[in-house]
Amino acid sequence: MKKQRVISLDEQQNKKDLKVIHELQQGLEKVDAFSVYAPDLQWFEQMVLVEQQRIKKRFVKDLSTFIFVAVFILSGIMISLYHMPTLFIGLQIAATIFIGVYTVVRYVKKVNYE
Amino acid sequence: MDECIINAKNGDHLAFALLFKENYPFLIKYLMKVTMNPDLAEELAQETMARCVQKIHLFNGKSKFSSWLISIATNIYIDQCRKQKREKDLHVLEQVGRKLKWQFESRNEDWNDALTALGKINEEIRVPIILKHYYGYSYEEIGDIMKISSGTVKSRVHNGILAVRRELNLDEETESHQSRRTTK
Repeated sequence: MKKQRVISLDEQQNKKDLKVIHELQQGLEKVDAFSVYAPDLQWFEQMVLVEQQRIKKRFVKDLSTFIFVAVFILSGIMISLYHMPTLFIGLQIAATIFIGVYTVVRYVKKVNYE
Repeated sequence: MDECIINAKNGDHLAFALLFKENYPFLIKYLMKVTMNPDLAEELAQETMARCVQKIHLFNGKSKFSSWLISIATNIYIDQCRKQKREKDLHVLEQVGRKLKWQFESRNEDWNDALTALGKINEEIRVPIILKHYYGYSYEEIGDIMKISSGTVKSRVHNGILAVRRELNLDEETESHQSRRTTK
C-alpha cells in the first residue's frame, strides 16, 4: 500500500517535471524561430584579422618583456660573478639553503595537517 | 577533422571566417536562450569568436566545433555574471528576460511563463537545464562544457526544474486541485 503511494507520488512528480520541460521547450523553440542577422563573410574576415594582429602584438610584447628581464637578471649574475665572486657564491649558497628549508617546512606542515 | 578547421588552425583567416559564418546563428541563438538578452548575446558572441581565434590550437576535434563554441561562450557568460556579482553590478542581471520578452511582444509572439521562470533562476542552473532539456547533451557532456562534475550537473538540473515548477505554481495547482477533489 505504502509502496503504491510512493510510486504514484513519483509518477505525479515526473508528470509535473515533464510538463515543465515541455513548456520550457516550447518557449525556447520560439526563441530559435527568431530570424538572426548574420554579418557577411568580409565582416568575419576582418574580425579574425584584427584578433590575429592583436595576438601577434601581445606575443611580441610578452616576448620582449621576457628577454629584457632575462638579460637584466643574467647580466646581474655575470657582473657579480666577475667582480664580487664571494658575494655570488654566498648568494648561491643562501638560495640553495632557502629552497631546501622552504621545501622541508612545507612538507612538514602538509604532513601535520593531514 | 574538417579541412576548414585544419586551415583555421594554420592561421587561415578565410577558413576562420567561414567557420564563424556557418556557426554564428547557432551560437547567437544559444546565447539568446541562456542570457535572455539579445544585445548581451551579440556582445558575448563576438567575445567568443575572439577567444576561439586565440585558443583554436586547443580544439582536438573530439566534439563538434559548435559544441566547442558554446562551451567557450558558456564559460565567458558565467565568468561575466560572477564578475558583475562581485562588483555588485546587479543592474544587468536584473534585466534577464526583459529584453527578450520585449522582442517577443514586438513580434506579436506569445510570451511563455516558463521562460520568465527560467529567467529568474541562477545562470549556473539555467545553463545546464537548457543544455540538457533543449539541446539534449548528456550530463557528462554538460560537465565537460561547464568544467564541473556530472553529479553536480544532475543535481543542478533537478533543482532547477523544481525551481521552475515552484515559480509556475504547478505544485500548488495540483495540491489545490486535489483538495478541491477531496472536499467534493
